[in-house]
Amino acid sequence: MSPMALSASRRRRLRPADYGIVWVTVALFILLSRTSDVFLTAVNLRNVLDQQALLLIAGSALTLTLISGHFDISVSASHINAAIVTALIVNQSGSAVAAIAGGIAIGAAFGLLNGLVVAWVRINSFIATLATSFVFYGVGFLLSDRSIIRIADRGFSEVARGRSAGVTNATWIAVAVVVLFWLLLQRTRFGRHVFAAGGNREAARLAGVRVEGIVLTSFLLTGAAAGLSGALLASRTLTAQPSDDFSFVFAVLTAVIVGGTSISGGEGAVWRTVFGAFFTAFMVNGFNLHQIDPIVQRLIQGSVILVAVAADNWTRRRRSA
Amino acid sequence: MGRIVLARAPQPHIELRGVTKRFGGTVALDDVDITLRAGGVHALVGENGAGKSTAGKIVAGVLTPDAGRLLLNGAEVALRSPRAALDRGITMVAQELSLVPSRSVVDNVFLGIESHSGPFVRAAAERFADLVAEFGIELEPEAIVGRLPVADQQKVEILRALARRAELIVMDEPTARLTTEQAVALRRTVRLLAERGVTVVYVSHFLDEVLAVADDVTILRDGRVVRSGPATGETRASLIQGIVGREIHAAFPRRRPRAPSAPVVLAANGLSREGFFGDVNLEVRAGEIVTLAGLVGSGRSEVLHCIFGADRATAGTMTLDGESYAPRSPRQAIRRGVAMVPESRKTQGLLPQRSVRENVTLPHLGRFTTVAGFVRSTGEQNAAGRVTGAVGLTGATISSTMTELSGGNQQKSLFARWLVGRARLFLADEPTRGVDVGAKRGIYDLLVDLAAEGMAVLVVSSELEEVLGLAHRILVMRSGRLVGEVDGTTASRTEVMELAFGPAAA
Repeated sequence: MSPMALSASRRRRLRPADYGIVWVTVALFILLSRTSDVFLTAVNLRNVLDQQALLLIAGSALTLTLISGHFDISVSASHINAAIVTALIVNQSGSAVAAIAGGIAIGAAFGLLNGLVVAWVRINSFIATLATSFVFYGVGFLLSDRSIIRIADRGFSEVARGRSAGVTNATWIAVAVVVLFWLLLQRTRFGRHVFAAGGNREAARLAGVRVEGIVLTSFLLTGAAAGLSGALLASRTLTAQPSDDFSFVFAVLTAVIVGGTSISGGEGAVWRTVFGAFFTAFMVNGFNLHQIDPIVQRLIQGSVILVAVAADNWTRRRRSA
Repeated sequence: MGRIVLARAPQPHIELRGVTKRFGGTVALDDVDITLRAGGVHALVGENGAGKSTAGKIVAGVLTPDAGRLLLNGAEVALRSPRAALDRGITMVAQELSLVPSRSVVDNVFLGIESHSGPFVRAAAERFADLVAEFGIELEPEAIVGRLPVADQQKVEILRALARRAELIVMDEPTARLTTEQAVALRRTVRLLAERGVTVVYVSHFLDEVLAVADDVTILRDGRVVRSGPATGETRASLIQGIVGREIHAAFPRRRPRAPSAPVVLAANGLSREGFFGDVNLEVRAGEIVTLAGLVGSGRSEVLHCIFGADRATAGTMTLDGESYAPRSPRQAIRRGVAMVPESRKTQGLLPQRSVRENVTLPHLGRFTTVAGFVRSTGEQNAAGRVTGAVGLTGATISSTMTELSGGNQQKSLFARWLVGRARLFLADEPTRGVDVGAKRGIYDLLVDLAAEGMAVLVVSSELEEVLGLAHRILVMRSGRLVGEVDGTTASRTEVMELAFGPAAA
């Protein structure tokens, strides 16, 4: 690197390019408000919020894992297993608290396992969590005896669907989780260590950061958050179904990456994931309101993700030139 | 061949006329005129940030100027990319080598210009032999590049340039990562290239090297040309004067006398790490600066890493302030009051995307953390402000991102990091590598001040000047063993080098 490119002080704290995702989300919001009568109604916006709740819960935590320099593909498997465990517990015991706690616990246990494999066995996290995903999917089929579990107690749906101040509980829980992870990353020592471990592992170690512990904790938290999102899924749908479907984690990952959190670690923010989630959500919502063919939707959605990531790369490269 | 004609005619090969280049708000080059004679070695010297690398990159088409003209053999050209420059016989051997480590030397040399019949690549052994014969750069053609020492990898880069019939090669800090012997060998290669008519632009920090190898020298300061002329008219002193704009009287601060009865802070007894070094016995007292000299690969950094807990010793014991000391991680070492500025600030030191504040407080964040784990920003900011002030970090604030800082300021930040807490033992591995003359002096002052405050300081350095100029005592390592101790105030260069190289081979 040229020493001279770094010379003197080039202080540019507020770079508009850093906030690209905010501008495009706002622009999309305005565009949809103008082109659709339905978009800017309380009912529609409340639905969009509710639909993003589970994704935001898992996404806040996954943001942390990405910043620490790792991937967690097993979010889907934890999510699905947590729904199954939650459904089983609520049917057995009737306790909503125990059911939700059980969902979080199985997610956390899976997260712990992932963390151990990644931090100490030193297997690349993408591969490791891809492999553990299959194990977890298998566990899901075993737990559920390969069938759909229906939750008998209809009242359990209140956990996710109940409302306060006009917004669903799932939304409120998502807000709480987002705030929690935002504080964790931006304001705590743990958060600093996450950025350090992902930004430069060896430098972090030589500065006294327990890198393995940080990575392990990130995976544990991500598992727990995926578990919570799965528990809420069970509450929302009153069913739980084993599958080996990766679509949830890829939706979550899309939000995180479109938001602008770096896949190479050390850079990112929870607020980015929030905007990433709403940008994709508004897009899908807009397609539906304008009755765009679902096949065309896919084409557009994929292209938009490519453009978002390309634009992000481009601004980063220009900055480091 | 064209280049032989060029070599006989000392006409300009490339001329920069009124070239200006900005990065954001910084002017890296300001209306610069430089003439590079064909078939000569032209050195560009200056402090970090003076514009020498930028000038080199503009010649090689890596950067395009914002204003000004480039003349190639008298005709104006626009080099919009390294590719465009290569088409005109110009290429660059960068600081960071760009080779394919898993492939052989031959494959790398002819990468992209393989001779082929249809889709099949033809053996290039003959072509390679021709190249070696023409330029005298010897390399095992089938060796895997990734397993070669850096010096040989550099030769591969040079051969690759020559295979493309390059007539002008820009070398950016080519010896920065080489040992002394390797650097001497590279200088021979550069002279050889010049004799074969290749024009070499040689960007370097090392003035003795520049004086030994260059025909012409251009001194840059703050993006402007101070002067440009034949190297024979320059001396080390005149170059330094041109670079810094003032005479530096003493490169090193005055050595403070140490109290003879000062307590021993670190004592190592029979310290070993299998495969790296063995049976190292050393002591560092409070207020003392000890330098660890020796060739690259003699095990000096590894000793430091063991003392810092970054590597585990396989045998031996240590004491710190008289108490048993066996750190199992840097974290434990830091808790005991040990600090280390690592050898490579890029790979071992910095969090590049984070602020200066976050970088300097990282090891001692616990001091500013509430019971609940939250960082108290006021306390942190005050501490960051204090320590960055103490190391003389100029031209940056604590909220600047690390990548925005010059090499010197980055290095100072790594020192500032350890001033947040109170260290007893300060380890520094190549503390002034890649920093400019001004920042060097700042770091020397800092090390001397730390010792004066009662810290024990252990410095690994490959710069002999530094080893001699700083130390109370010099320990010399060779092939993983401590082979001698010299008094820092009376030692001579030859004394240290003879120990480092060992008895002359029979």
